[in-house]
Amino acid sequence: MGLVAVLLVAVATTWGGVLVLVRGWLADHVLAEGRTANVVATLNAGADGASLQQALRAAFPQATALLLPPAAVQQQLASWFPELAPVLAGLPEGSFPPLLQAEVPAAGEAEVARWLAGRPEVGLVQSSRAWQQRLAEVTGRLAVAGTAAAAVLLAGCVAVVLLVVRLLVLDHADEIGIMRLIGAHEGAIRAPYLACGVSFGVAGGALGSVLLAAMWAVVRSLLPGLPLAPVALLALPLAGALLGLVGAAIGLLSLPREP
Amino acid sequence: MILLEDVAKFYNGRPALRGINAFVERGEFVFLTGASGAGKSTLLRILYRAELPDHGRVRVAGFDLATLKGRDVAQFRQRLGVVFQDFKLLRRRTVGENVSFVLSLLDVNEREQQRLSYLALKRLGLQHRINALPDELSGGEQQRVAIARALVRQPELILADEPTGNLDPERSHELMEFFKEINYQGTTVLVATHDRSLIASHPARTLTLERGTVVRDAWGIEA
Repeated sequence: MGLVAVLLVAVATTWGGVLVLVRGWLADHVLAEGRTANVVATLNAGADGASLQQALRAAFPQATALLLPPAAVQQQLASWFPELAPVLAGLPEGSFPPLLQAEVPAAGEAEVARWLAGRPEVGLVQSSRAWQQRLAEVTGRLAVAGTAAAAVLLAGCVAVVLLVVRLLVLDHADEIGIMRLIGAHEGAIRAPYLACGVSFGVAGGALGSVLLAAMWAVVRSLLPGLPLAPVALLALPLAGALLGLVGAAIGLLSLPREP
Repeated sequence: MILLEDVAKFYNGRPALRGINAFVERGEFVFLTGASGAGKSTLLRILYRAELPDHGRVRVAGFDLATLKGRDVAQFRQRLGVVFQDFKLLRRRTVGENVSFVLSLLDVNEREQQRLSYLALKRLGLQHRINALPDELSGGEQQRVAIARALVRQPELILADEPTGNLDPERSHELMEFFKEINYQGTTVLVATHDRSLIASHPARTLTLERGTVVRDAWGIEA
């Protein structure tokens, strides 16, 4: 039962650590408000992309505009989806509309998108900010689900520690009664059980830190810049200790007091 | 040291004690006797506040037990040395730890705890069993460990419930001499026993209980 408590605390603290790390990474690297935005305009067939590029630079000097002719678009698509590359290479170049890609400061993104949408050469305008907002909505929902799962895990940890402490108290009921009769204070009687709950929590949290560090080492190549501060590794045993303390304290509520 | 005023205790409406009035002065040696079921153990349990009386007033070592708050009970019990009929030793702890535990509650340092525990056990001839567990001892040895634990912190009052119940006559006699010696040093001693021969051979003030009431308060035992 004690091992179950330690393992459950390890899983709960690792899960909590993963949630915090991934949310931090998304906020810093994907959903950051201050990042430059990309606005991509799909040009109509026969449109003069070079003139539009010049007009954009003139209207928005802070924007960087890049014109991708159909061949470059075809190449880029082939590089993004290598499994479709043979199919894409077989299509006529005219199947790929030219694109004008503008990188602008986040504050000017809406204005640039409006300006491009108002141009007759432009068929479709899409901005990275809109995609970021959709991503933010999705990650927000995932975060709520993840937090709910973490809450269930944490409650499970408290419940298991509580049960372990109750079993210990039952097993030591005679000893507790004797300690009271020979003058032991409630604090002296309860302290070992609280310490037991805390030690389960610390052990689980330490195991959680090891698991989190191992997971970080595996995924950091996939999520470049994913941070893992030493303080996060220290926080898990502390969080575990708190969980164990709360579980043990609730478990000790079953211990009858002096009349 | 002990004041009992019109004390009563009921179990399921039936009186276990009723109308108990008694006063034990500091430094007295008193026997509490009576047949099984007369109320000796109930009265002792009230005196060390394992139970509360349903009626009346109980004062022990300056504490009014009826109004004593739960958090102050430990402090009260630290003033007593109680020898329980069933010993109440901590089964998972050694003999030495059982005795030193009561000293640890008084913040005595560990070295002193060991020294005093050894001396208390030596006084009862058990120093060689200091590292044994209670279950490795005979009933008489366990009884003596319980006595060493009760005496080690030099309490103001010793309450002993059938302390000779598991001892042979020779050991019983030794134990009573031991209690007398402690009493001569100023400790109040109250011994509950149904063994009339024990009182006859060590005469002292004797409270006799019958059906939960004190029927006699006199020196020694009736012939």
